[in-house]
Amino acid sequence: MSQRFEFPSIHNFSPFYTQQVTQTTLQNQIVLWSEIILSYFRHHKLYRLELSEALNGELFKNQGIKRRLKLETLQIIIDHMVKQGTAEWDSPPSKNAALIYWRKPEEWASLIDKWVFDCGLNNSIVTLYEILHGESSEGMEFHNLNQTILLKALDILVKRGVAQLLQGSSADDLGVKFFGING
Amino acid sequence: MGSKNTKITSHDRTILELKLQRDKLKQKQKRILGMSNEATEVAREALRQGNKSGALLALKKKKYQQRLSEKTETQIMNLEELTQSIEFSLLEKDILSRLDAGNSILKELNKEMSIENVEKLLEDTQDAISYQNEISELLSGKITSEDEEEILNELREITADQLAQQLPDVPTTEIPIVPVKLSLPEEEEEEEEELSEEHAEPSSSIQKETRKERRQLVAA
Repeated sequence: MSQRFEFPSIHNFSPFYTQQVTQTTLQNQIVLWSEIILSYFRHHKLYRLELSEALNGELFKNQGIKRRLKLETLQIIIDHMVKQGTAEWDSPPSKNAALIYWRKPEEWASLIDKWVFDCGLNNSIVTLYEILHGESSEGMEFHNLNQTILLKALDILVKRGVAQLLQGSSADDLGVKFFGING
Repeated sequence: MGSKNTKITSHDRTILELKLQRDKLKQKQKRILGMSNEATEVAREALRQGNKSGALLALKKKKYQQRLSEKTETQIMNLEELTQSIEFSLLEKDILSRLDAGNSILKELNKEMSIENVEKLLEDTQDAISYQNEISELLSGKITSEDEEEILNELREITADQLAQQLPDVPTTEIPIVPVKLSLPEEEEEEEEELSEEHAEPSSSIQKETRKERRQLVAA
């Protein structure tokens, strides 16, 4: 990780790690945690949150004040984010992994669509690997994007009628054909 | 989200397979370079510890990885070259197809634009022009005959007015008679001179007086 993420001061507040009893305080706590999670994931360009594993990380475990968030509390927070549209459970119904949408699939779709046009890739075949890890996508925000999120973004483009997915000989091998003005 | 058959051809699938294979080779290349760098690091560490034979062994592994890397790079280039050739051929085929479609349209248009049709069209146009000219002549002739009468009447009026303005009125008074004085010559030499003077004087004086009278009459 290149730069260290600076946590807001609330992150050093002991009660912040305890699920609050009062409803209004609980809601405020959930909102604040949501914002911290989104900022942290955006900063480090992370996309998938494995709850049990993450609870041992710096995000939810503060060594300084020896406090740690509980799994149940984190699940409540993610549930809230799912309702807000900034997260999606990746492992229902176990609720142990989630995709964090610091940028929503619709936004990824638009960025990819613009990149396709700028690179002159209309009417040609592009592999998912090429979009995520190819030289031509270096510098783009979706470089090294999570493949699951990429597929959601591409599905949006398919529904817009500007793209079509292809499957290769293997089940995991996928490609996309982007249509142009003459498509 | 399965793939549909719409707009996707067998060529597209072939190109996809080639590109997927290229991706796999690129990932392999990354692993090879990673192992090569790792071998270099192992060699350095071995040398730091005075283990020369260990360092040599690590460098041999690195050399092997480098050769493997070169082969992989060649394979990647071959695949990309083939893929680009296929894509370009498909593009050329598309161009040819569109040229053919354009040619077909042109032929159809030429059928509609046969020489006989053009000649007939020109004849029809000429007939229409002639007909229009006849109508114009008829209309213009009729109008001109009517206008000419009016023009002639107007001309007569203008002529009459001009004549009335230019011609002076006939005088009503009688011209008074002016007596002419004649003198007899005394000497022969002087007679000739005097005669010439006498001849000159009366005519000029009469003319002058006549002109004066006319001017007075005109003025009145």
